[in-house]
Amino acid sequence: MNANRRFVLKSMVLGGAAGVVLSRSMPLLAGVPPSHSGIRPALALVGGGVAEAAFLQGAMAAAGAQLRVQQLDQSLSSMLDFEQRLRAGRPLRVIGLLDDAAATLVLDLARSAGARVPWLGQHTAEAGSTRHRLLNTDLAEGCTRQLSRLLHACGAGFTLDEERQGSVAPARQLAGPARNGAGSAQWAAGVGYLLAALDAHPAMTPRVSVQGTLPSGSFVSFSIEV
Amino acid sequence: MSEPMNGVLPRGVTQKKFNAAVERFRALLGEENVLVKAEQLIPYSKIMMSVESAAHAPSAALTANTVEQVQGIVKICNQYRIPIWTISTGRNFGYGTAAPVQRGQVILDLKKMNRIIKIDPDMCTALVEPGVTFQQLYDYIEENKLPLMLSFSAPSAIAGPLGNTMDRGVGYTPYGEHFMMQCGMEVVLANGDIYRTGMGGVKGSNTWQIFKWGYGPTLDGMFTQANYGITTKMGFWLMPRPPAYKPFEVIFENEADIVEIVDILRPLRIAQIIPNAVVIANILWEAGSAHLRRRDYIAEPGHTPDHVLEKMQKDSGMGAWNLYAALYGTQEQIDVNWKIVTDAFRKHGKGRIVTQEEAGDKQPFKYRAELMSGVPNLQEFGLYNWRGGGGSMWFAPVSEARGSECAKQALLAKRILHKYGLDYVAEFIVGPRDMHHVIDVLYDRTSDEEIKRADACFNELLDEFEKEGYAVYRVNTRFQERVARSYGPVKRYVEHAIKRALDPNNILAPGRSGIDLDAYETRRRAKIASSDES
Repeated sequence: MNANRRFVLKSMVLGGAAGVVLSRSMPLLAGVPPSHSGIRPALALVGGGVAEAAFLQGAMAAAGAQLRVQQLDQSLSSMLDFEQRLRAGRPLRVIGLLDDAAATLVLDLARSAGARVPWLGQHTAEAGSTRHRLLNTDLAEGCTRQLSRLLHACGAGFTLDEERQGSVAPARQLAGPARNGAGSAQWAAGVGYLLAALDAHPAMTPRVSVQGTLPSGSFVSFSIEV
Repeated sequence: MSEPMNGVLPRGVTQKKFNAAVERFRALLGEENVLVKAEQLIPYSKIMMSVESAAHAPSAALTANTVEQVQGIVKICNQYRIPIWTISTGRNFGYGTAAPVQRGQVILDLKKMNRIIKIDPDMCTALVEPGVTFQQLYDYIEENKLPLMLSFSAPSAIAGPLGNTMDRGVGYTPYGEHFMMQCGMEVVLANGDIYRTGMGGVKGSNTWQIFKWGYGPTLDGMFTQANYGITTKMGFWLMPRPPAYKPFEVIFENEADIVEIVDILRPLRIAQIIPNAVVIANILWEAGSAHLRRRDYIAEPGHTPDHVLEKMQKDSGMGAWNLYAALYGTQEQIDVNWKIVTDAFRKHGKGRIVTQEEAGDKQPFKYRAELMSGVPNLQEFGLYNWRGGGGSMWFAPVSEARGSECAKQALLAKRILHKYGLDYVAEFIVGPRDMHHVIDVLYDRTSDEEIKRADACFNELLDEFEKEGYAVYRVNTRFQERVARSYGPVKRYVEHAIKRALDPNNILAPGRSGIDLDAYETRRRAKIASSDES
């Protein structure tokens, strides 16, 4: 292999690159048990923004110390290192919230590594509302309803479309009107919680306290297993 | 025990037949190479088409390890009339990615056939399997210190030479017209026979990767962008690494400059003074590649207005058009050609020439210089973040390398894209006489309304360009049937006659480039019926 290839997937101490909120959370997590039995260890891949920090907050609320976090950018070295991890021959569960470019690459590498993807979500947040388009499987049963409830509770307007891979059922479309002002990155925390707890099928998604207003942007969430 | 039920089945195939075929595939390939679970198939779902995922959902995916397994697969497909959609790495992104053209087709993923069979550093040739990536080749060349240089498309590292060449993709070096550099293929035909093109059929031949034409009809081109066979090996020529290399950029401030840029460039390209596939990128292609984001400049929806583009130019130093080219050879050759090139552009008086020494590590210069010298990177994926929402479909009409023609196409495309509230994000890839005018139709995949708008926009681009006598050289899977119509009925008749002869059961990627025996027959009958009625 290329000797110059750097290991750029930096193992991030929780919160290190994901903003103030995470840094504050860091000491609380050592030894914190997962919220439900049956939650398996996972690696969370995130970018460095506010929504990603909220995603991690939600994921940590579900998985506690079972969660490892790595920051990922779309550089070639990052992607090749991630590919090596996928192909290392060890079981690996990866969840994440990334921008469109990085997620496109991650999901493509996942396919080549023969990974399973029970959840693929596209999310846009702008002007006090959010849009979500999910492609998932029976393994994510109930998650869409929970996310919808959470989005309702947040009070920002939203649309949520769900397609079930391989299903004959038509896509499900849910929507909620805006009931308050700017909204928050709560949706990302909810997605983080749901993905971290995907195996445990929690009955409800708790509202994780998230600071800051709704950041605009476009993101992709995923759950990948090899 | 009840039989497993699939929500997605190949066209015209019953659940019972499908299950029987799956069992045969498992017996041939092993359980781990037959993917039917939803979570195994999501990675193969469409990500870059302006339609719901269900329309292009596969019923299964198979991975093969050997040519013999591919032969076995087509045998089973013939028996059960299972249509297969073959991918090598599946990374043509804005041209469709891995998803099949029709719902229910079984994907045959050749990623595990990834052997670099031979690289001959003396003859500068390579022979590879479909799953080989450019990164794999790059690493091989570096590790073995071979004096060779690769040419690849912008997804470089993660894409592969076989898939890109079979789709007639281009790169950015003097070997950038990839199909022109292809030499020898091995193709599994629908009946399971193995056909080797060129000199490959001659027992003991050592010129399969040396001499393209062989004897009699030369059929290599017939298998590109087509569904007449499954290519399991491909040979191609590699460029010797030159002793010296000089990348440069010429920045132009005005959109209207495209006319002079192309007219200055054409003689330099035809005379091979500039030998590589030059790129002329517009401001938005530059911005996306430099990882700028639209929302940092404007919050309003719709297309990005000209005054914002002008501000971006001013802030970033990027031009309305940005030309990237390179000189290759000995230092003496480069010095001579550099004078010719700089004299030509200075005479014009508008372009600002930037050398590598001046640009340093600045993007997008850095990644362009890397691509033109065969060093892979993923920088251009930043385009997917420009607008937000990650949708991308490449509209790629061919143009004469004539300034007035390029300007006409640019204006036409911009008008149509703006009508639909989308941005004109474009680059011209310059051959000696032709230009691939590649436009990235970027849209938000989370917005139903914008997906529909992008779809309508793409259709209008196809329609309006066709009215002017233009057509695309390659297209996103979603629009392949539509584009086939642009090229006229006789071509379609010939293509379907070949299909009937080579693949009478229509099992190989029906619908690829609009070639589908069933759909063709249905249309033919409908036409007869309507003429009878009238």
